[in-house]
Amino acid sequence: MKRTFLAKRNALLSSGSVSWGTLVLAIAVLLLLVRLIAPNFFWYLFTPAFRASEAIAQKTDSLFSGFNNAVTLTQENEALENQNALLAAQNEALLEKTGSIAGLAIDAQSITAGVVARPPESPYDTLVIAAGSADGVTINQEAFGEGEVPLGTITSVFAHFSRVTLFSAPNVSLLGWVGSKHLPIIIRGSGGGAISASVPRSDSVAVGDVVSVPGPGSLPIGTVVRVDSDSSSPSVTLRIQPSLNLFSVTWVTLRDSGTALESAFAATTTLP
Amino acid sequence: MIRGLFTLLSFISVILFPWLLTVLLTLGVSIFEPLVPLAIGIFADTLYYTPQAGALPLFAIYGAIVTALSFLVRSQLKTSIIGR
Repeated sequence: MKRTFLAKRNALLSSGSVSWGTLVLAIAVLLLLVRLIAPNFFWYLFTPAFRASEAIAQKTDSLFSGFNNAVTLTQENEALENQNALLAAQNEALLEKTGSIAGLAIDAQSITAGVVARPPESPYDTLVIAAGSADGVTINQEAFGEGEVPLGTITSVFAHFSRVTLFSAPNVSLLGWVGSKHLPIIIRGSGGGAISASVPRSDSVAVGDVVSVPGPGSLPIGTVVRVDSDSSSPSVTLRIQPSLNLFSVTWVTLRDSGTALESAFAATTTLP
Repeated sequence: MIRGLFTLLSFISVILFPWLLTVLLTLGVSIFEPLVPLAIGIFADTLYYTPQAGALPLFAIYGAIVTALSFLVRSQLKTSIIGR
């Protein structure tokens, strides 16, 4: 009788019972044992794998950083577009403002001129400016410095140059006011950039009072820095410091400021 | 075969891919192969565990937890047909 032998099947290793999970678990445990028992061999075995991992990580990092750069560039582009729009608006506003200022200058018929020579290059208390009859400069026009501070009058005109005699020139005098009460005074040039005036002793003028002259309105010309009094004199002398350093002026504006100032100069004696 | 492929992929992803992809792959495979999370956890600790970094091999512990959960879910839902 033929005996029938059943095929012996291993319950653990039969292909039907060993799942993928069991297999990888066995491999993981085996690798763990290798690391614990022979760590050098383990790291020798896995070094290429780690190198490949590092290379892949670098490539993916560069890929994602490329996306990051794109995002950064987009944000930067948006910011620049906004900035460009803002600058364009500002430019528009400035152009408009410049146009309006130019219109005002034309209305006022003022001439802006650079100072070519000042003392000691020019005679004391005079300025030579780079504008003449060709530019519309005429005698007796008033010269104003920065802040509409009256400086002097045009006394000589050439084709392309003119001479401004400053109010500080000797023998130049003009009418003005001092203090908050606008006490009328006669302002005289003392030479060398100095201006003075005389007022009755009874008038209460103090150091720091503003001295102004007629123009379009009342234009400040300087400040009282010292009050000299002589007991034998019924008046006191005011030493006036000009609002601008007359010898440091770099440009002036010329225009006819009005009849008041002109009439004031009509009665004065100026240097030729 | 697909199970084997994904199991192998999750095994390789421990070395080559970001950890998040490994977790997703392992969780996906754990539906069909509950032992894979434990195996992956042990493998990850085999590669990356250092006693200085922590007292416990956390990858293996997390893998064991996921494996236990996977077995629990399978038993509760009677998903034996999936395992065949």
